[in-house]
Amino acid sequence: MIDHALDAAKFIDLTWMNVSFLFIVGFIGGLVSGFIGSGGAFVLTPAMMSLGVPAAVAVASNMCHKFPKAMVGAYKRYKYGQVDLKLGIVMAASATVGVQAGIKIQELILNKWGEAGSNLYVSLSFVAVLLLVGSYVFYDAFKTSNSEGGDPVPKLARRLQSINLPPMIHFKTADLTISLWFTIPVGFATGLLAATIAVGGFVGVPGMIYVVGASGLISSASELVIAFLMGFGGTVKWAMHGMVDIRLTLIILAGSLVGVQLGAIGTTYVKENMIKIVMGTIMLIVAVSRALAVPQYLNQLQLMDVDKFTLSILDMVSFATMCLALAVGAVIIIGSMLKGRRAEYAAQTSESYEHV
Amino acid sequence: MAAKTEIRKKKILIRTLMYGAITTALYAAVFSHASSITELFAKGGFYAALPIATVFIFSFAHGAFSSNLWSVLGIEAITKQAAKRKTAPAPRPIQKPRARLRMSA
Repeated sequence: MIDHALDAAKFIDLTWMNVSFLFIVGFIGGLVSGFIGSGGAFVLTPAMMSLGVPAAVAVASNMCHKFPKAMVGAYKRYKYGQVDLKLGIVMAASATVGVQAGIKIQELILNKWGEAGSNLYVSLSFVAVLLLVGSYVFYDAFKTSNSEGGDPVPKLARRLQSINLPPMIHFKTADLTISLWFTIPVGFATGLLAATIAVGGFVGVPGMIYVVGASGLISSASELVIAFLMGFGGTVKWAMHGMVDIRLTLIILAGSLVGVQLGAIGTTYVKENMIKIVMGTIMLIVAVSRALAVPQYLNQLQLMDVDKFTLSILDMVSFATMCLALAVGAVIIIGSMLKGRRAEYAAQTSESYEHV
Repeated sequence: MAAKTEIRKKKILIRTLMYGAITTALYAAVFSHASSITELFAKGGFYAALPIATVFIFSFAHGAFSSNLWSVLGIEAITKQAAKRKTAPAPRPIQKPRARLRMSA
């Protein structure tokens, strides 16, 4: 498998254990991404780092697998009529500006408070955004699952859509018309979050649902277009710095390309609010995971006094909780797919009996 | 009808095997020279095109393989029309009174 020794400081040795672990995490990450439009990346980077991969190589290799995975997922969901290409492109354009702003904020914090300060900022952003948005997504999913009227356009989106502020844009697949000025902040926030916590979709998808007014199905599918465009741009940058470990990228890609297609197929089996349930659940569990990492950075900044043993336990529990978030998401997706499939089969059987 | 389904199934199986073979060959080609390829692809600068082109090729072959694989396993999308949602009526442009020319004697 190895023809000559690689630079050990940059590239890890691959064992069958490493390969299997990355393949499985890639598969589950792909499954979740195909279903809710994002996810997977937040586990893959720390997962690679836990194997000894340097942070920059982990981020670069992860990003290099993310954009082709998103491309395949977007293509699959486009065939099901779920992708609004225009919405994805408009959002990605403003997200690019958001990414630049996010990088600038990160640089400012890094210069002022050092690496621990930067890590603390990232973790606190994770906790604040995910708790706030995740709770609302979860509450909304619960509310719509109890109501009989299906999945209505949220009040805020309906209000914004009725304001005539040129230039107005019509999104054909999403079947809505809204001013460009209301889509820009959503795209910007997506980029800002992508540059901060590496998962812009946790704001992008809820933003498209609650601010722009697209359905959960269209939003999660169009998020794949944003992920592809932004991931491609990021990969070019990282690859030009020579940070991509193609072996790691291809192993994760092998798993995620199988998973992303299953996730995309899964969206046709389930009710629309299932996307919100999966997204809300993952966001809330990830928020807990990142909250567990906060004491470590507070300790580094000497704002809190915690012993080393407790910190190592917290670190381990934080990583395990993050993996749990992905696993719970995958279980809900597969469970609801099986349920949807059974219902479809039952409907087909009763239909054929009626024809007899 | 049944014959048509059988032919379709056979076609999908052939495609799965074909793309599976291509995918295996691609992975074998990279991982048999893993170290040299990893080093070359991480040289930076214009070499950045190499990992990007590679993932595009892999995602085409492996993507087609996995799509067909799920079909062979009987897992395919249910084609149903998404229910139309009530959206806000498109806002009308503000109507301004047309300018009139006043003629006074």
